[in-house]
Amino acid sequence: MATIESIQKAYIDFVLTEGTQPKSVYVFAKKNKMTEEEFYRFFGSFDAIEQHLWTNFAVRTIAEIKTQEVWGQYSAREKALSFFYSFFELLKSSRSFVVYSIKKQPKSFTTPVIFTGMKDAFESFCSDLITEGLETNELSERKFFSNRYKDALWVQLVFVLNFWINDNSTGFEKTDEAIEKGINVTFDLFQRSPIDNLFEYGKFLAKNGGLTEKMGFGSN
Amino acid sequence: MSDKTPKEQNSIPTSKVERSAKFVKTGFKIGGNYIKHYSKKLFNPDMDKSELNEDNASDIYESLSELKGSALKVAQMLSMDKNLLPQAYTDKFSQSQYNAPPLSGPLIVQTFKKYFGKTPDKIYDKFNVRSSNAASIGQVHQAELDGKKLAVKIQYPGVGDSISSDLKLVKPFAFRMLGMSERELDVYMKEVEERLLEETDYELEVRRSIEFSNACAGLDNVVFPKYYPELSSKRIITMDWLEGKHLREFLHTNPSQQLRNKIGQALWDFYNFQQHELRAVHADPHPGNFMITSDDKLGVIDFGCIKEMPEDFYYPFFSLTSTGLMDNKEETIKAFRQLEMIHPNDTPAQIEFYYGMYRQMIGLFAKPYITDHFDFGQTAFFEELYGFGEKVSKMPEFKQARGVKHFIYVNRTNFGLYNILHELKAEVKTDTFKPHVVEQFV
Repeated sequence: MATIESIQKAYIDFVLTEGTQPKSVYVFAKKNKMTEEEFYRFFGSFDAIEQHLWTNFAVRTIAEIKTQEVWGQYSAREKALSFFYSFFELLKSSRSFVVYSIKKQPKSFTTPVIFTGMKDAFESFCSDLITEGLETNELSERKFFSNRYKDALWVQLVFVLNFWINDNSTGFEKTDEAIEKGINVTFDLFQRSPIDNLFEYGKFLAKNGGLTEKMGFGSN
Repeated sequence: MSDKTPKEQNSIPTSKVERSAKFVKTGFKIGGNYIKHYSKKLFNPDMDKSELNEDNASDIYESLSELKGSALKVAQMLSMDKNLLPQAYTDKFSQSQYNAPPLSGPLIVQTFKKYFGKTPDKIYDKFNVRSSNAASIGQVHQAELDGKKLAVKIQYPGVGDSISSDLKLVKPFAFRMLGMSERELDVYMKEVEERLLEETDYELEVRRSIEFSNACAGLDNVVFPKYYPELSSKRIITMDWLEGKHLREFLHTNPSQQLRNKIGQALWDFYNFQQHELRAVHADPHPGNFMITSDDKLGVIDFGCIKEMPEDFYYPFFSLTSTGLMDNKEETIKAFRQLEMIHPNDTPAQIEFYYGMYRQMIGLFAKPYITDHFDFGQTAFFEELYGFGEKVSKMPEFKQARGVKHFIYVNRTNFGLYNILHELKAEVKTDTFKPHVVEQFV
């Protein structure tokens, strides 16, 4: 009897041995002694298998980090860092598949189909921690922008993924550095910063623009 | 730089390219400082170089302090070697000892998972994710296990990797500052690189810490934390938490002369026992590596940097601390030749000159060894020492590199030791562990 896990396992084994997806579900099913119907009961396509695997990576990571004792004491920044570290720790055990799966994606700016489920899970995780960060004033509330914070984190995740598959340092230490520095910079930008003050000052000047003219400093 | 306050650091340059850019910028600035200096000098020929040195030091410092890890370490090292660098450089560099942003909690958890497969709260009964101290290549956390308070040292990731590339970047400035050619400097840079790389190997550090604390166990008033190899790895060291005050804090409590002498004596014995009996020495006499425990003993907490002294360095160098040899000009010159302080193709006039200078220099260094006790509190000795260093650094004859590579760490160790003893204003019995001396060379 085929299960989600057995199909995933057979699929990973196939793509890593052959370096490519099976020609058809028919071929794949026959090779693994199941019917096509059994396959379709779990997955609609081969990409769906990959999508499911990726989603699972994110879901498992989120579940795992939340069980850590320190979780409650973490700030939003640390929660994000924690996700990144644990996520890549988890990916290590499936590195060959990850490399295969990412490398075959065409270069484009749209999110690949196989990432969609993972992106949803990741974004809902991020929304939670961003809301929390905004409530505790760790992050700065900005009109329009604060809704986009989670996008910045997603971009980071895709960036680090690409960094990791090309990382050949011992124990992927460079990836650890990339995470530490990248996430910190991102959160530095989420915090109240000189940009906010500059923006406020600009607003103030715009609102009180008449004043400068009255005082005789206006250009004429 | 007209602005003397260091700018707040918001990010660390990450990639090698960025780091190079940082250094290149400094290079331009230093070039600029030289131009500024020489154009001013056109109008005022009496101007000395101190303004120039000041300008250079603050530029170099700013650039170094924005980089972490090995560059910081180099800055610290240069700052220890006060005799090698003009005052302005060292003042700026001493600031670098207080600068390093901490690792995030999740990265610490990650490091543990990587090396032990477990999170720290599963390894220790208690673990504080907030670090209690920063060191230049790592940071220290407090933990508890079976009712014992522990200190857990964790290394920043990627330090080892960046050392070699950082040193390559530092090199052009170093030879500029020290006025040496790049080829001459290479030998010394290699030596520094070797030691720095050793420092990043925490497994080695644990092994050595245990070895040295056992070897030094017989010394009076010196204590070591216990190390736990099973709770240590390439990037993590677990040891007992030493309760006590750092040297500076200790001095703030206005300790009695008697107590200062006791600590100073412990320090002197610790170093000289290692140098003369073990022939390998804890080469990082940075005040932060020592604690004064509540029962007034000297605690030693860092064995990252060990300098081993080969016989062909040890004998000629330490024999020079004996008056018997120093009074024999011929044998002294032989020792100087072995130490490459006098080169084979030096002219007789050069030999005479370097003989005179080095004899005076080592004579100064050896002063504490000549008598059976020495008062490190007296400023006269140190003024003489720095005055001489300053004078030598301005002499064109010393622009060229001289002396074997072992001098770097042995000087750093001994001048570091002298400096700490001076800060302690301690009077020390100096004949407890005497150098082994030969009075004739082949």
